[in-house]
Amino acid sequence: MAWGSLVVAGLFEMFGVAMINKLHRDQSWQSLVLLILGFGASFVFLAYAMETLPMGTAYAVWTGIGASGGAILGMILYGESKDWKRIIFIVMVLGAAIGLKLVS
Amino acid sequence: MNTEWIKVVIAAFFEVFWVIGLKHADNLWAWIGTMIAIIISFYLMIMAGKKLPVGTVYAVFVGLGTAGTVFSDFVFFGEPFQIAKVFLILVLLAGVIGLKLVTKDTDKEGVES
Repeated sequence: MAWGSLVVAGLFEMFGVAMINKLHRDQSWQSLVLLILGFGASFVFLAYAMETLPMGTAYAVWTGIGASGGAILGMILYGESKDWKRIIFIVMVLGAAIGLKLVS
Repeated sequence: MNTEWIKVVIAAFFEVFWVIGLKHADNLWAWIGTMIAIIISFYLMIMAGKKLPVGTVYAVFVGLGTAGTVFSDFVFFGEPFQIAKVFLILVLLAGVIGLKLVTKDTDKEGVES
């Protein structure tokens, strides 16, 4: 249950990141509401997962799914650069962040 | 364009505050401060995504926030100093600088106008 909840939290975070893109594109209230609901739901599911899973592990998985998923969605749906250097640097930043959360 | 990067850095700075707040807040004022830090940090991060690629902004926001939190654990909360953590922080900062260098100044600009 905790792991399922954690994956759902990560997916909501991905959705929230995609809504930031959508918000800048259409500047609508609907996008802003979806953005807030996406991140809000993500935090609720993350908090639930953290009741049983170690905090560092939960954070690492959540970041891994949400931030890298958000970057991938940005490339697929919103035309963000697919330059290999950009991808490597994003992997470095997120890989190090995940590592820091795991060793904490 | 540097202004946009400064927004991301300040957003990450406030992220450190609210992460500390979520962990240590024990009274109403501390919780109000934590909420304000969350609002400021998300507002700046979202606004930086207007000109910079959102995937880049969010990765840097999460990364710098994590590095700042680990750093504040060392400095303010007496966590033991670990060489592995210092190494990971350096890798992370190298990645952020790399992203700054490969992100074109003109990304998405002109879309609004």
